[in-house]
Amino acid sequence: MTRGSRFLALLMAVLLLAGCGGAATQTSPAGSGSQGSSASSGTSASAGSATSDGANLPDVIEIGVITALTGSEAKFGEAHKRGYEIALEEINAAGGVLGRPLKLIIEDDASKPENAISAAEKLATQTNVPLILGSYSSAATLPAAQTATKYQVPFIVPTAAADNITEFGSKYVFRINSPSSEYASTAISFLMDQVKPKTLAIIYENTNFGTSTAEPARKLAEEAGIEVVAFEGYAKGAPDFKPLISAVKSKNPDAVLFVSYLLDATLLMRQARELDFNPKVYIGAGAGFSTPEFVREEGAGKDAEYTFSATLWTTDVTWKGAAEFAAKFQERYGVEPAYHSAETHAALYLVKDVLERAGSLDRQAVRDALAATDMGPDATIFGPMKFDEKGQNAHPMLVTQVQNGNYVTVWPREYAAADPILPTPTWSERK
Amino acid sequence: MELLAQLPQNLVSGLLLGGMYALIGVGLALVYGVMDIVNMAHGAFLMVGMYTTYLLVNNFGIDPYAGILISAPALFVLGMLIQRLVIHRIATASHMNQILLTVGLSMALVNTAQLLFTADYRQVRTSYAETVIRFAGVSMNLAYVISFAVAVAITVGLYLYLMKSEFGRALRATSQDIHAAQLMGINVRNVQMTAFGLGMALAGAAGALLTPVYYLYPTVGENFGLKAFTMVVLGGMGSVVGAALGGVTLALAESLGQMVVGHELKDAIGFVVFVLVLLFKPAGLFGRARA
Repeated sequence: MTRGSRFLALLMAVLLLAGCGGAATQTSPAGSGSQGSSASSGTSASAGSATSDGANLPDVIEIGVITALTGSEAKFGEAHKRGYEIALEEINAAGGVLGRPLKLIIEDDASKPENAISAAEKLATQTNVPLILGSYSSAATLPAAQTATKYQVPFIVPTAAADNITEFGSKYVFRINSPSSEYASTAISFLMDQVKPKTLAIIYENTNFGTSTAEPARKLAEEAGIEVVAFEGYAKGAPDFKPLISAVKSKNPDAVLFVSYLLDATLLMRQARELDFNPKVYIGAGAGFSTPEFVREEGAGKDAEYTFSATLWTTDVTWKGAAEFAAKFQERYGVEPAYHSAETHAALYLVKDVLERAGSLDRQAVRDALAATDMGPDATIFGPMKFDEKGQNAHPMLVTQVQNGNYVTVWPREYAAADPILPTPTWSERK
Repeated sequence: MELLAQLPQNLVSGLLLGGMYALIGVGLALVYGVMDIVNMAHGAFLMVGMYTTYLLVNNFGIDPYAGILISAPALFVLGMLIQRLVIHRIATASHMNQILLTVGLSMALVNTAQLLFTADYRQVRTSYAETVIRFAGVSMNLAYVISFAVAVAITVGLYLYLMKSEFGRALRATSQDIHAAQLMGINVRNVQMTAFGLGMALAGAAGALLTPVYYLYPTVGENFGLKAFTMVVLGGMGSVVGAALGGVTLALAESLGQMVVGHELKDAIGFVVFVLVLLFKPAGLFGRARA
């Protein structure tokens, strides 16, 4: 018995180590780097504002970047970094900014809010960066933006979508992407403009993400005069959605709006085919319906054909440079760029524009220049840039349709690469 | 009226899903219900079965259903090894010790899968899953129909084996009274090892049946593992047939119940049924009261 329990204890220790190993290695690099900075942040809090004026610029202009290079969101941090890298090379090859080359100081927040805070603190107090760009997740970006605001450093948000990031009354936070509520409004605007459905079904996963998109969609649809005949939440990860789909099918809606991540989106479309459910339009509010895997064989494959989705950016959008960027990205990294990379690429061009207009690296001057930004639709690959009083860019959302297995931009008309195919062919009409 | 129209479809969907649930439940019933080992790693075993099927399909082009002939024996051997090296030592220990050990085992398996396959999700696409059978307004995915048939065949086969064979008798004797069984000349060690191996082989078979209609990722088994416990207790501890019927009951309850309360509360329905059974028929739907 004692031999047995000793063995058991040993085994448990080994198993626990095995289980925790992954997490432990993920936290260490950024954790050790940023702890040193927070310790000394109190002493040099005023160093930031004493930066150079327009007359004497440093040899190299340093820009602060926070993103998730390790941890659970490392994949997106990598996409961020790739977008920055391509833009940095292009800008420096074309003579830099104000005659000086740009340099990025990239801080890894390891996908953790507390590290994002210390990274922002470090950049604000121990460097002379005129502004900070960051981060990936909303959870990490909001506290980092608040920290930057505290130190009065302009903070550009390229990706994080939670509505509250521009809602806390900061004069220093500027966001280039659309907040998450825009997905719902874009989907409804598209339906009203192109389809004019009388009835709509909304199918959403019952998580914060799902309800926070589905609720505004229902409200907007009803305001637009569309009757919402089904409003069905589901528990994500279910193997069988047929009862749900047959319930929705029995209401015979003109259009179906999904708020779903990839795995559920895949099964939903597959089982919609099996049940021969034929609304005029299938549209997704981004997420699973605009993920590259969704149209491929490992996703919904041909069941994804003709589905629409609201999205931020596509490789075929008519904004100048988007197609070239996609080609360059594909060649260098062997994959198609996601919108995250386009956002950071555009963000660095925004930085260039802002610093040139500010004419100095003074943080106050840079903030004022950011607020006065007015870049046309061809200024960046992510489209026009102009911020409202909350610091929110009026980014035009796009609607894509899957045509021949590819996402094609079909709306709004001025940015479209092709016409939408409407109404959606029934399952039996398809090849 | 509307609900009535959906009834046949939901009945069929629930029944087909129930076949797969049944196989998952039966595997756990052998280990938990019969051998009395609280196995929190059953979901992870299912996951191992799914990845084995995935490898067989992708690397060797073997049909996922034919693959059972390879994956089930492979998992049987793996299960016997795990029993001999790990589980054997806590076979008579308290349930708390068993939970700790099998949770640890599950973590080790899941993390190994994550290391080998990354956390990306994968899918096995077969022509079966693309084929839909329509009959009287009810649609059935061919893959689900085949999976159901195979699951029923395996469950019935296992039941007959346990009731008629020498090993089945030894297994039932061991589960009733381990010491008496030993005195009667039964090699209890071997019986326990074989039973655990069988349990894992069944999880492997269930994984193979699930793969063509679902997707796989390292933690895919968690939800199914939890439901498997519900099935075993629902059907009645110690009864293999009970666990199978428990699985079908659970799937039907989920499928039909959500017509009334909505898809959102699907998982809750199963547990409501579970609590009701525990309250009013604590021995399980198909079990006899235990001493």
